[in-house]
Amino acid sequence: MGLLTKLLFFPIAGPVAGIRWSLGKVQRVVEEELVDDAPVKQELMELQMLLELGDIDDAEYAQREAVLMQRLRDVREWRERLGMATAGGPVRVARESDDDA
Amino acid sequence: MTEPQTVRTETPPIAQPAVEGKYVYCIIRLDKPRDFGSVGIGGGQRVYTVHYQDLAAIVSDTPLVIYDPTREHVLAHEFVNETVMREFTVIPMSFGTVFRSEDDVTELLRSTYQAFSDVLDKMQDKIEFGLKVLWEREKVIANLERENDEIRRLKDEISRNIASSTYFARMQLGRLVEAALEGVQSRYVADIHEALKPVAVASRSNKVIGDRMILNAAFLVERTQERAFDDKVKEVSRRYEELLTFKYTGPWPPYNFVNIKLKLEKAN
Repeated sequence: MGLLTKLLFFPIAGPVAGIRWSLGKVQRVVEEELVDDAPVKQELMELQMLLELGDIDDAEYAQREAVLMQRLRDVREWRERLGMATAGGPVRVARESDDDA
Repeated sequence: MTEPQTVRTETPPIAQPAVEGKYVYCIIRLDKPRDFGSVGIGGGQRVYTVHYQDLAAIVSDTPLVIYDPTREHVLAHEFVNETVMREFTVIPMSFGTVFRSEDDVTELLRSTYQAFSDVLDKMQDKIEFGLKVLWEREKVIANLERENDEIRRLKDEISRNIASSTYFARMQLGRLVEAALEGVQSRYVADIHEALKPVAVASRSNKVIGDRMILNAAFLVERTQERAFDDKVKEVSRRYEELLTFKYTGPWPPYNFVNIKLKLEKAN
């Protein structure tokens, strides 16, 4: 919300640098959303809870799970594209020489 | 910085040609080979051991894929750990941990030998139970109205519709109920913890899931105390039968009580 307000009004009064700053910020926020899988995992846990409580049936679970899995994959893809660490996939013990990589 | 991604991101179920990787479920103390049957992830792969000295990793063969945390996959992962747990103290690995080769698994055991050994000693004969408690908000509120004079008085006032005071009375009532609910919740949670403390070694509270849950906890319990813990959970759930729903699961490997940070990197 606040961001939208800034985008709509700030550039009118502000200097050019301000515009650039706003756009940079928008891009950052968008990227943060694209590369964060925590909300998806939270939703997945909530979905599992619903199934365990009998609030939804297997068919609905499967259908909603598929959507969440796609979102997880999208997040992974964005992280890879942006050169960020991703969970899953083959790993090996880090060599001592490149510790804390 | 970005390594080229050669891994497929889906898990093709059957007719998988290249079976080069090892999926690791958990670490146990065992110095001779052991087969746990065809119960592995990805359609009943054979589950067996990879050894280094007296440690063993429980693994199954897998293509080099990223496993989505679907219910099916997660259940397969858990099923193996449950099977192994019946006989051994286990250090569970996180879901989806795939190594490229048996050598890489041996290297994991070798380089983390001391930490694994220490934790296996600490976790010897201990198991984990999960307890989620949900409440029936409406019933708890109904209860509050019976027990809390202030709330009852305000409700009466509102229902008698004394026009001038209704709006503020409603606001006040809302605030009162919220505060009372918070109080009740922490009392319930403290009460449950208090009841289970004597029969558990340790406990940990996790973030609640959804809006009906008031407690999401894990308890570490001595195997010899399993029965006593069980009885206590039943006792306390009977005490709150009307108001709370208890979701009690386990025994699990000590997921919430083992914290070994492995230094792993992508293997492409």
